[in-house]
Amino acid sequence: MPRRTSWLSAENIAFVIFLIFMIVYPFRTDDFGILNAAYFAALTLLALSLSMIWGKAGILSFGQTAFFGIGGYLYGIYTLNVLGSAQTWVGLAVGMLAGGIVAAILGWFMFYGGVNDVFVGLTTLALTLVLQTFMAQTAGPEWTVGEARLNGYNGMYIPQLSFGEMPLYGRPLYFVYLAILIGVYLLLRWLSSTRWGYGLLALQENRPRTESFGYNVRLMQVQVFALAGVVAALSGVLYASWGGYIDPSSMGLTAAITPVIYVAIGGRRSLTASMISSMILLKLSQLLASSAPEYALVIFGLLALLAVLFVPEGFVVALFNLIDRHLLNRGGGNLPGMTAPVEEVTANG
Amino acid sequence: MFDGLFNWFYQFQVSFSFLLLSAIGLAVIFGMMGVINLAHGEFMMLGAYATTFLAVKGVPLALAILIGALAVGVFGAVIEMLVIRRLYGRLLDSVAATWAIGLILSQGMLILTGPSIQGVSSPFGSFSVGAISYSWYRIVLGVVSLLLIAGLYILFMKTEFGLRARATIQNQPIARSLGVDTARMYTLTFALGSALAGLAGGLFAPTATIVPFFGTNYTVEAFVTVIVGGANALVGTPLAAASLGVINAALGTKYGLYIARVGLLLTTIVIIRVLPTGISGLVERWRMRPARQR
Amino acid sequence: MADAQPLLMLDNVSKRFGGLRAVSDMNLTVGQGELRCLIGPNGAGKSTIFKLIMGFERPTSGTIAFGGDRIDGWPTWKRARQGLSIKMQIPGVYPELSVQDNMRVAAQNHVASHEMAESIRGLLARVGLDGLAGEQVKNLSHGQQQWLEIGMALSAKPKLLLLDEPTAGMGPGETEATARIVESLNADGMAILVIEHDMAFIRRIARTVTVMNLGKLFAEGTITEIEANQDVTDIYLGRS
Repeated sequence: MPRRTSWLSAENIAFVIFLIFMIVYPFRTDDFGILNAAYFAALTLLALSLSMIWGKAGILSFGQTAFFGIGGYLYGIYTLNVLGSAQTWVGLAVGMLAGGIVAAILGWFMFYGGVNDVFVGLTTLALTLVLQTFMAQTAGPEWTVGEARLNGYNGMYIPQLSFGEMPLYGRPLYFVYLAILIGVYLLLRWLSSTRWGYGLLALQENRPRTESFGYNVRLMQVQVFALAGVVAALSGVLYASWGGYIDPSSMGLTAAITPVIYVAIGGRRSLTASMISSMILLKLSQLLASSAPEYALVIFGLLALLAVLFVPEGFVVALFNLIDRHLLNRGGGNLPGMTAPVEEVTANG
Repeated sequence: MFDGLFNWFYQFQVSFSFLLLSAIGLAVIFGMMGVINLAHGEFMMLGAYATTFLAVKGVPLALAILIGALAVGVFGAVIEMLVIRRLYGRLLDSVAATWAIGLILSQGMLILTGPSIQGVSSPFGSFSVGAISYSWYRIVLGVVSLLLIAGLYILFMKTEFGLRARATIQNQPIARSLGVDTARMYTLTFALGSALAGLAGGLFAPTATIVPFFGTNYTVEAFVTVIVGGANALVGTPLAAASLGVINAALGTKYGLYIARVGLLLTTIVIIRVLPTGISGLVERWRMRPARQR
Repeated sequence: MADAQPLLMLDNVSKRFGGLRAVSDMNLTVGQGELRCLIGPNGAGKSTIFKLIMGFERPTSGTIAFGGDRIDGWPTWKRARQGLSIKMQIPGVYPELSVQDNMRVAAQNHVASHEMAESIRGLLARVGLDGLAGEQVKNLSHGQQQWLEIGMALSAKPKLLLLDEPTAGMGPGETEATARIVESLNADGMAILVIEHDMAFIRRIARTVTVMNLGKLFAEGTITEIEANQDVTDIYLGRS
């Protein structure tokens, strides 16, 4: 009695609705709304990065913000020293590459050294705090890299991504950011459905066993960690370019744990749930911050607490499951294997 | 010569007591329950607020600190019964939940009391060695940390509670089958760790400004000490506080606070890699050696 | 020794854990297509031998050769790709995944994707789990999980299959079904090394038997020889 598999699942429907909404939205709002949504898209990449390693490979990092910061700062340092609008895109690549390289080195250091589970969380947390603390003391004029002044907590000035002479602004900016977000999302979903992605699902449950099926487990851990580092760095570049500014608080304790909360509330096993939950929660925290600034974080903390206690698979994933079961007559959608299409199974029956 | 030596010793014992007091509550909870309490800093903040509130009202400082610690201990017991208890075996979820609790506490305190409250000044005055003036209170903190370790040692090694607690960590099902109420042990342990956090907050209260985000000044150092110390709060935490205290004092006097903190964090990353079970694990291995050769 | 080179050869292998010698100077060979049982009292070092062969542990001294290569320095995944496969003592299945996904995970490194569906269907039929492909593994019975794991071990198309207590926790009917699976695999030419306690099962399947005691090779021979050996009976009864 094989499982019926088709593309018609709550997760995919939710993605399509999300995509349509995101395309229509900028034509229904003002300039501020557009810019704001672009900012959310940039930060949501960080949630995707975490969902990929935590949800798909069982590696919980509290330090994706380290790669986020490395991306942002390196992008700034490069673009301030190598001028020209085309160079901003090279800067984007430089930032991503730097995030990926640092993540690969740290991943090699951890996974080949047998560091796993909660100790990965603590190591990555320590890394992001090292970077934050280091950058915090760079306020003095002696802390410059070529033309770029790091400037400690006063923040570093960052040039914007530009086409020709025009810095990205308004709708073009928004659609570039949205295209990057959706592109990364689709790439990660595709990767999760490959042989490699299935290997990650397996090693998340049992590393030695998975190695005995012929998977080079530690290499795969380093690969996915580096990949997530690239995505987090990309998020940092887009964030820094968006605001024209970055400071060490982007790598601090609060910043580091926020994406963990977004992904936990949405449902770490599903990239779609993580993405949607991150967008909604960013919007929610902003709404709360403007209407009731003192109460915003209290409500937010309560929401996270309720999710962890009563809906551990995540609110969004729980919703997907309900729809799958009752409206689409499918099995539970939060099963790891269900998040990726299994074409072979349909042939069976 | 003596002046320099004393200065160095003073800096070291300040770092040591700072790290030890910040970490000990977190270490008890992590070591005995395997739970990482991300609200640790906020528990310290509660202790600092309670102590300051009472001291400003005229309660003697020492008594105010003790009452503050007790209050945070009771609060911890409530949190354990409402939240932590449901999350055993779900380490990462308990991390997220305690983070949320911490957020609620610090923001709630901001709503209730505003951005800061009036503090108390540190007692006992100061003394001079050579040209430099030192605080007596910081010396007292060093002595208190040593007494605290001795007290915890007696509590865990010489009392009925300690025996039951150790039995529970070693093997929960067996402890339960021997009639230990393990759920109650966990509640008490979490309460003890919370009370220690509150105590540390109260002790630090006279040395800091009392703000809702008081705890964040100590959180990072507390975590670093617990990671380096490993699961044994009685052995690992003091040793970790001592060795990190040396690093902190040396880098701090030479390069300043920021670089000292970077040094602590980098040390921690290396320690996780070479000694994943921390100093406790190393001590354990060393203690097992003669047994093996027999 | 047979004229052909043995498939697996452990030469003077020792493994110490701290001061404890789990395996000392152990020699063991498994020929091409051989079905051999490894028996011995609890703590004899049988499971450690499997871990050493599979690479979960590294020997303190001695060499392990497989298919002509010296493999004792290789990582586990490389040994698996070379044709070693294991069914572990504690079921090594993925409870959170479906039967289908379990099989897919096990097969991916050994089966081309266009043959995957066919291969999985064939193997599930062989271990008696056809019809359960969509079931989540944590809902299977203990016996079904054991068979699934054998199926997973088989999807690696192994040259040598290691079975650690394949009938543990099974009733007589399930044990008989397992014996039939093992025999039919061996009849197809697959070399199999089995750790078992159930003497009836061993009598049913075994051609040759190796007995271990206290980390050492204790006796070797046909099942008849071993059962007639008074010393072997003694160590099982703790009289050695």
